[in-house]
Amino acid sequence: MNALEVKNLTKTFDKIIAVDNASFEVPEGSIFGLIGRNGAGKTTTIRMMMNIYIPDSGEVLLRGNKVDHQFKDKVGYLPEERGLYKKSKVMDILLYFAELKGKKGKDIHKKAEEYLERFELLDRKTAKIEDLSKGNQQKVQFISTILHDPEFIILDEPFSGLDPINTNLLKEIILDLKKQGKVIIFSTHLMDFAERMCDHIAMIDHGKVILKGRLSDIKAKYSQENISLNYEGDISFLNSHPLVDKVEDFGNTTGIRIKDASKTQELLKLLVDNKVKVKRFDANDITLHEIFISLAGKVEGEQLTAGVANV
Amino acid sequence: MFSLDKTLTVIKRELRDKLLSKSFVIMTLLLPIFMFGILGFQTFLLTQESDEGTTIELVSENEDVLYNIQKVFQERTFIQNEYYKVNYSQKDREQLQNFLEEKRTDLLSDKLTAIIFVPQTALNNKDVEYYSKNPNNRTVFDKLRDMINNALVETYFEDKNFSQEEIQFAGMRVGFNTFRISADKDAEEEGVGNLIASFLFTFLLYFSLIFLGTMMMRAVIEEKTSKIVEVLLSSCSSKDLMTGKILGTGITGVMQMFIWLLPVIMLITTSVFTLPADFNLKLDMGMIFYFLINYFIGLMTFLGLFASVGAIFDNDQDAQSGIWPIMMLIMIPFFIAITSQNNPDSALIKISSFVPFSSIIVMPARMTLVEVPLWELLAAVVINIATFFGIFMLAGKIYRVGILRTGKKPTWAEVVKWFKYQY
Repeated sequence: MNALEVKNLTKTFDKIIAVDNASFEVPEGSIFGLIGRNGAGKTTTIRMMMNIYIPDSGEVLLRGNKVDHQFKDKVGYLPEERGLYKKSKVMDILLYFAELKGKKGKDIHKKAEEYLERFELLDRKTAKIEDLSKGNQQKVQFISTILHDPEFIILDEPFSGLDPINTNLLKEIILDLKKQGKVIIFSTHLMDFAERMCDHIAMIDHGKVILKGRLSDIKAKYSQENISLNYEGDISFLNSHPLVDKVEDFGNTTGIRIKDASKTQELLKLLVDNKVKVKRFDANDITLHEIFISLAGKVEGEQLTAGVANV
Repeated sequence: MFSLDKTLTVIKRELRDKLLSKSFVIMTLLLPIFMFGILGFQTFLLTQESDEGTTIELVSENEDVLYNIQKVFQERTFIQNEYYKVNYSQKDREQLQNFLEEKRTDLLSDKLTAIIFVPQTALNNKDVEYYSKNPNNRTVFDKLRDMINNALVETYFEDKNFSQEEIQFAGMRVGFNTFRISADKDAEEEGVGNLIASFLFTFLLYFSLIFLGTMMMRAVIEEKTSKIVEVLLSSCSSKDLMTGKILGTGITGVMQMFIWLLPVIMLITTSVFTLPADFNLKLDMGMIFYFLINYFIGLMTFLGLFASVGAIFDNDQDAQSGIWPIMMLIMIPFFIAITSQNNPDSALIKISSFVPFSSIIVMPARMTLVEVPLWELLAAVVINIATFFGIFMLAGKIYRVGILRTGKKPTWAEVVKWFKYQY
């Protein structure tokens, strides 16, 4: 069962196509990753999913029905760049954001206090945002994202700029929410991170969805015909060999895509015969990063894996 | 897409944020102090005519004139108590020339303020001569003009067998006592009260439109640059947000205006304070009510404009450059309203009290000074409401696109394109 279905979404700004006929499905209870480079169209897609932008064409279905503004009450959104009213007090801002989601009253007040206690901020509830440390401001922002008990949680580059403590805290919350059966949608350019957290993904590049589905299925499919290789010597002869489809440099490793998945042993023999010193030959592993590069190509100077240390 | 609940939530926050804030209280109290401070300072400056110790040589060619001047002057307290020191002498024009030479150093060193020469011909044309280092001393002219006039009139009629009353009458000035004619009342004597009230209304409108407008613009820029707006828009539509902000600030503004007008309202409705007859106010509660309604509509119109400028730009500096067209919409009517105090019935005033935007500032000033028919007031309200809805729609379109845009400062042509965007 799909919680959300994105169907043929297209959005153009001033002749620039930000999202181009994008379709993907977000299953119930999944952690879903929307993956792509900066500027690939992730945020625009998310904004259309939340009904902030009206698509030029296409639609977003929430459990079979077109999304309307009521969907906004069911969503908790953590934008990439975070901000709160600096002059407002912690509790006031939490209650304001919850009230905008249609939740108010004693219950929500109590719940806010519970969250503040869990995040060790209860004693700061009447403090002004500007008087909190950056880390504590981030905590307040998390609470405001989930305080109204949303069914869907959309997190845009959630770990960027977080300190290690908050990174762990957020991971805990995400796993907690998954246990409660919430649908969690990430948008991120960090492939390693998506690989570890997500069970379904959609890969987006230049506004187009270039890959989608269950992560384990995707990896199984690509790993069979992709060999990850570390070596010493010259492998340039492979470029024109009939066995090989493509040779790609991923930085740390070299990826060799073969035309027939059953011919991996022949490739190994070929390398040995040609006096290449094989240090690692892995026919059962491919990273999302490698899949992405083989599909979308590498952009000069771009480090897709940068900044994942804390994940 | 419009949600009343969410708009109300935004309004509530705006009210809590503004109405209960320290800066609101301070601003509300400070402005009257500031205004009265300026008025008081001006009055203080005017009363501080530092003309004590003015020394004058009064020279007359004609002996009778000299005698009469002396007589008139000696009746005045400021001469008696030597606030002004006056020496009298009789000289003809030739002697005057020598006298001037003789006194030149005194005149230059301010030991002597002036030499006033009343020639024989003054009895024909009332022209007198004033010799001084500072020949533009209005204070002295205003003090002595009537006195010299009286002396000349007296001398002129002396041998013509007129009674003292007749001579006095000839020396009097014409005074305008002003009356206001209105449809429903008898002619009433008019003081300067309404002139002051119209200035007060104009100034309050001008000041608070700019003040609250700029505040609105800053708030929008803050929400935009701090990305709060992304969270807000994941909860409500841009229309809810803008409507809530405008209504919230609009209500705050009207409350503030009401507080500022409280003294005027008390003057009209109670007899706790009374004004001297000269300052008599011809206002009624209907006018105050119109003024507040007009202000509310006008304020919301301008808040819409300021909000869209805030949405277009990323920072205060850029926004300052984009704000001048709106400033013109406030400043030009402000100056027109100020000139209405000379002749509130001029065609310019009449027309501009119906023109969108300027009506908001000019009509209250006009209404305070002359009787404006009810239908004209209603017409102005209708025009202003129509303007508000027009601006609200345009501003909404700019706002919803602008608040999610960052980066390069957009050109006006780009902003125009935003109208066509489907968001």
